[in-house]
Amino acid sequence: MKFLTDTHLFGILLSVASFYGISYLRDKLKATWLNPLMSSIALIIGLLLLFDIPFEHFMEGGSVIHSFLGPVTVVLALPLYRNRKLLKAHKFAIMGGITAGVFAAVASVILLGRLFQLNELLERSIMGHSVTTPIGIGISDSLGANEGITVLSIMITGIFGVIIAPSLYRLLRIVHPVAKGIGLGTSAHALGTTKAMEMGETEGAMSSLAIGVTALTTVLVVIILQVLGWY
Amino acid sequence: MKVFKQLLILLGINFMGELLSHYLSLPIPGSITGMILLLVLLFAGVIKERQIAETADFFLKNMGFFFIPAGVGVMVSYQSLEGRYVQTIVAILASTLIVMACAGLVTQFLIKRRKNHDEVSD
Repeated sequence: MKFLTDTHLFGILLSVASFYGISYLRDKLKATWLNPLMSSIALIIGLLLLFDIPFEHFMEGGSVIHSFLGPVTVVLALPLYRNRKLLKAHKFAIMGGITAGVFAAVASVILLGRLFQLNELLERSIMGHSVTTPIGIGISDSLGANEGITVLSIMITGIFGVIIAPSLYRLLRIVHPVAKGIGLGTSAHALGTTKAMEMGETEGAMSSLAIGVTALTTVLVVIILQVLGWY
Repeated sequence: MKVFKQLLILLGINFMGELLSHYLSLPIPGSITGMILLLVLLFAGVIKERQIAETADFFLKNMGFFFIPAGVGVMVSYQSLEGRYVQTIVAILASTLIVMACAGLVTQFLIKRRKNHDEVSD
């Protein structure tokens, strides 16, 4: 078996097959709840464990895919640039709301982490849970945390954000379309944006703007924490 | 041809981001420096949207695929999660609620305050 799995092809083939297969099923069964990334991760881990294939074998091809995270991160500038006009109308409200959200994210992770006695690695790994995945991975790396836990925390955040947004907005009387979009985009990144788009055009555009601004603001806040020596 | 030209621009910016992060000892990963660099170049008009659009949109639309290896990486570090699964998930969910509430409420508050302010000054 080793000659089959200890190759670059193996990890790439497995990733493409899982991602395509699950995306195909999702469209065929109209199962929008089926998240291709989460399901692919679960499926691949399951297969590696089942056939006793070492993680290192998977990563020979996996690292090739992983190296594309560079350009994937760079292109995040484009949606931000495309939404530049939207920022203008409510500049201060948008920047203020996102900044509040980012501080709330960092502070709540540190406080909840201490409260639940999570170890430092876990705390650092979930620091970027509200940020879009490529940037979250970048933050995780620069904090010396675990990428895998970061990716899962980001997925859990996105799925939960989509589910909870309508009730939370009703409860807190958040009714303004701009506020609804910023809330979803700041907390639940791209997955939240799909929900915001369902709510309306303004909500969707605001949410998609919030993804990029949140990512950059979080990077900035983490740097400040590090420079201050708090982290 | 077009795809390669666009990919060359994106990889080139990524590469310059890595160089900047390394030689300026920036505390952020080169890919994020690259993102900021692209944003600056777009705003400065040095790079036009159409020069990168198709390739950038391919990455944006299929982003999830590229996170698979990072996600599978959780299997070698599950020890740090041992006995803390529930606490970690609860912390993530609670934090998500707090962030959504703060961002939404503060945005709405600032919009309303400005509107009231405008009405008063009228």
